[in-house]
Amino acid sequence: MAAAADVRDMLDLPAEGQPRPHKKQKVVEKRPEGITRELYALLGERAPPIALNENKYKGRPRWMNKLRVRPWRMTPFTNNARDDGLVLYHWQRKHESTRPPISDGAQMDTNESSAENRDDSVKPLDQVYPFAKYNIQIRMPKRYTDDEYTKLLQSKDWSREETDYLVDLVQEYNLRWMIIADRYEYQPRVNSDAGADAGANALVPATHYRTMEQMKARYYFVAAKMLEIEHPPAEMSEAEFELHERMLKFDPDRERDRKELAALQLNRTADEVREEALLLEELKRITSNEQNFITERRELYARLEVPISVGNTTMYQSSQGLSQLLQTLLQADKSKKRRSILGPEGSVASPAGQTPSQATAAETPTASSAAANKKGGIAAQAQPQVRTLTPAEEARYGVQHHERVSAGVQFRSDRAQKLTQAKSNVQTLKLAGALAELEIPVRLFMPTERVCKEFERLIQSVNLLLDARKVAEKVESEIRILEAARADREKKAAPDAPHPEVKTEAEEGASGVFDSTAAESGGADNSNKKDDGGDNAAQDGEGNHKRSASVLSGASDKTSKRQRR
Amino acid sequence: MNPSNPPQTAEYGGVTIHPSSLEHLLTYVASRLDEVSAIVLDPGYSTTRAGFAGEDAPKSLIPTYYGKYNADGQEKLIFGDDVFVTPRPGLSVHNPIGRDGIVEDWDMAEKVWEYSFTSRLTGAKASDPFHNGLNEIPSEELPTEMEVEADEKPLADSPLLMTEPGWNPAKAREKTIEIAMEKWGTPAFYLARNGVLSAFASGKASALVIDIGASNISITPVHDGMILKRGVQHSPLGGDYISSQIQAFSKTAVEAGQPPQAKYKTFPADKAPDASYRSLLEERTISEFKECVVQVWAGPNKLSATGPNGVSNEEVARTTPGRPFEFPDGYNQVFGVDRFRVTESLFDAKAAIPDPDSPFPAPTPSQTLPELIKASLAAVDVDLRPHLLANVVVTGASSLLYGFTDRLNHELMALYPGPRVRISAPGNTAERRFGSWIGGSILASLGTFHQMWISKKEYDEHGPNIVEKRCK
Repeated sequence: MAAAADVRDMLDLPAEGQPRPHKKQKVVEKRPEGITRELYALLGERAPPIALNENKYKGRPRWMNKLRVRPWRMTPFTNNARDDGLVLYHWQRKHESTRPPISDGAQMDTNESSAENRDDSVKPLDQVYPFAKYNIQIRMPKRYTDDEYTKLLQSKDWSREETDYLVDLVQEYNLRWMIIADRYEYQPRVNSDAGADAGANALVPATHYRTMEQMKARYYFVAAKMLEIEHPPAEMSEAEFELHERMLKFDPDRERDRKELAALQLNRTADEVREEALLLEELKRITSNEQNFITERRELYARLEVPISVGNTTMYQSSQGLSQLLQTLLQADKSKKRRSILGPEGSVASPAGQTPSQATAAETPTASSAAANKKGGIAAQAQPQVRTLTPAEEARYGVQHHERVSAGVQFRSDRAQKLTQAKSNVQTLKLAGALAELEIPVRLFMPTERVCKEFERLIQSVNLLLDARKVAEKVESEIRILEAARADREKKAAPDAPHPEVKTEAEEGASGVFDSTAAESGGADNSNKKDDGGDNAAQDGEGNHKRSASVLSGASDKTSKRQRR
Repeated sequence: MNPSNPPQTAEYGGVTIHPSSLEHLLTYVASRLDEVSAIVLDPGYSTTRAGFAGEDAPKSLIPTYYGKYNADGQEKLIFGDDVFVTPRPGLSVHNPIGRDGIVEDWDMAEKVWEYSFTSRLTGAKASDPFHNGLNEIPSEELPTEMEVEADEKPLADSPLLMTEPGWNPAKAREKTIEIAMEKWGTPAFYLARNGVLSAFASGKASALVIDIGASNISITPVHDGMILKRGVQHSPLGGDYISSQIQAFSKTAVEAGQPPQAKYKTFPADKAPDASYRSLLEERTISEFKECVVQVWAGPNKLSATGPNGVSNEEVARTTPGRPFEFPDGYNQVFGVDRFRVTESLFDAKAAIPDPDSPFPAPTPSQTLPELIKASLAAVDVDLRPHLLANVVVTGASSLLYGFTDRLNHELMALYPGPRVRISAPGNTAERRFGSWIGGSILASLGTFHQMWISKKEYDEHGPNIVEKRCK
């Protein structure tokens, strides 16, 4: 009982409700045969472990002694399945007959036994041999006549004799094609007219080799035709019609191809077999995990919808902090009565930990155990054997190398997230606006390596664009101010202002005003033209950006589509 | 293997010592049984088995070898186990069956076979109580009565089921039925292939039967209770070949643990038995050695190959404890790796121990077991091959060599890594030795089989050629 309790403990089963009733108490030691009750009583409680069994003939149960002896007799019988009336003898219980018992069996005179024979040989006639019913013949189509053969069944490939031979063989071996093909040894008669001496002189011609498919095709053709003659297709019963169709549709070439493929399949090398087994196992695992995987992913998405915590994560970077986090998470899980997404043993990793794509990428085909796969990349890295991967493999398995790895757990999505946080709140809002315009979620659906990179690039160009816009706006506003100033001046000097003067003044003014912005616009010329050009360039740039943004958005659309998928 | 021992199991009454798979099978078919006291005769090269159908082991087991000697100017013959007993002057030992399993000497084959069932099964007929010697007989009537007795055919009231190898030519088959019908006077006869019967004994209608006999190893694909003739393969690497390998090797391994100490009996030239007698008894000793010591390297791979961790298989075999054996002359030795070597050529022709004196030529690669199996399966339709591989039946006394089935399994797995390979080899020695006889015993006692007998009437009508038509 202690062992059972231990096992329960180990398996985390609830403790036993009530102690089981002791069965042992009920067992009453049985008195072995061959010992009298009195002697057995003397032996006390613990009898020596000696079996006192006498080897004796079991005998018949007592009730049988009262029955009458029913004699068995060697009786002759004939088998209805035979047509030659062979008489065999077997033992049979003698029937209670009205006949007077024949004189003592020991003294069988020849006269008497013959009389008995005659007597018994009459009996089998009215008593059918029980095994005769198993003699079943298959139903064969009617044999063709000469006329029918010449009319319907002619074939270039098959002579009449060979067809006859084939049909005979099929009948003889009850359509067991394996055996028919094995025993098929048709020797075409070279010169049927020349007679026996020619046959004797001629070398035995090589047996005409026929494949099983050829034989089947020919026989099915013949049988289908004969069936047609017997019942025209319109009158056929359903089963017959089906059979007819099947026989007509037999395609020897296809059958041959199939057999070639089967032979290929059979003769695979050990490596191929192993690989196939591996793949099958993988497939099985994938299909069995599919449902699991889908629910996990759904849960992950659901979790992604949750508003981002802006709290500081440094407190979780020490192991103590992590375990604390784990505790709180577990608590939260329990209180929500919700299944933890990674299962009880996987919950060490934080819930938002492995992205599904990474988890699948980490499954190398050589990873033998499913357990290793469950733990994803971590287990894959922890695998004892280190092997170098080709760049292609690296790309396939998603292995990447970092120059500097900081302590603690970091999430790629976090890094991507950081990019969207600009220094100023206004800028952040603008970034968010740009992203919203491009229909890219602030929180990436599937922050894979590539997506993150693309996202980074996108953010960079958005920043660039925003900067450019800022500059452009600044310049524009300055131009507006200057234009206003000029208009003022022109208004003032309108009646007598000579044209060239204004120009120079304007130039001067412009140069004066632009002095401060010159540094910003990268030492641009003070001329309006140049400014216009700069504006144009900016516009061009904006156009470019727009285009690139649309490209980007297209790309991100794609990526987002991929994510959705 | 020792033919002088009659089968121990189930002498009478069907009480067997070991409950076995066969018994389950027999109880399964019990409802289909209808015994007609048929006799099953399974002649082999080394032993001839005979017994009543429905029993689980042949009652009569005699060596096929017979002795011939001259006494008082008369030629005398010795059958049965008596062959081994007395070295009579000029006693020579012969075998009516050729090394390929086909009967060569029909007259003697008939006598040996007849002895196999008359000695233990049919016996002398209960004669007329008036004349059986218990009552007083008028002396002048005796000779005529005796003549009548002698005229009686030995098998007049039991149907006979005989076995034959799968490559038995049509002429031999016709001769067999002729003997059974005309000489023995059996009322019904059937000739079955021993491959098919071995498959039946394992309860299978389709199987690949691997029979390791004394003179031959044969591969017989069986489908639906019929052999596939094109797939039948046989080669002479049987038990006798292994014996010859043992002889070849014992010539080379001379370092005696102890020199033989024996006083040999010398015969004067005119009293000495023939050399064939000596070789028979040598063979008998070597058979004992074979049964006690010889082992098949269980695989994987050949004995000469290197194992997965760089150690050659021969080294591994060397580390296994040796087995001691003492020959009758006192020579004794612990046999190590050599006991693996003598059987290796069943699987690897290159491993054969060369011996110019041996009656067996060096085996060719195509005679080895894996090649035979390959050839056999190649001759069978591809749809059937996986099924046959899943039903490999191992039978024949030489297959009882220790480690044989393991090795065979490994070889088959290496040959056909794709399909499932399943070997069914009865663990019970009697079932392995008498596989085809047991199959015959089952077959001949089936109620449905009785329509297949060739009756005397049919034989008279169609002549001996009927065996070709009926026993397909």
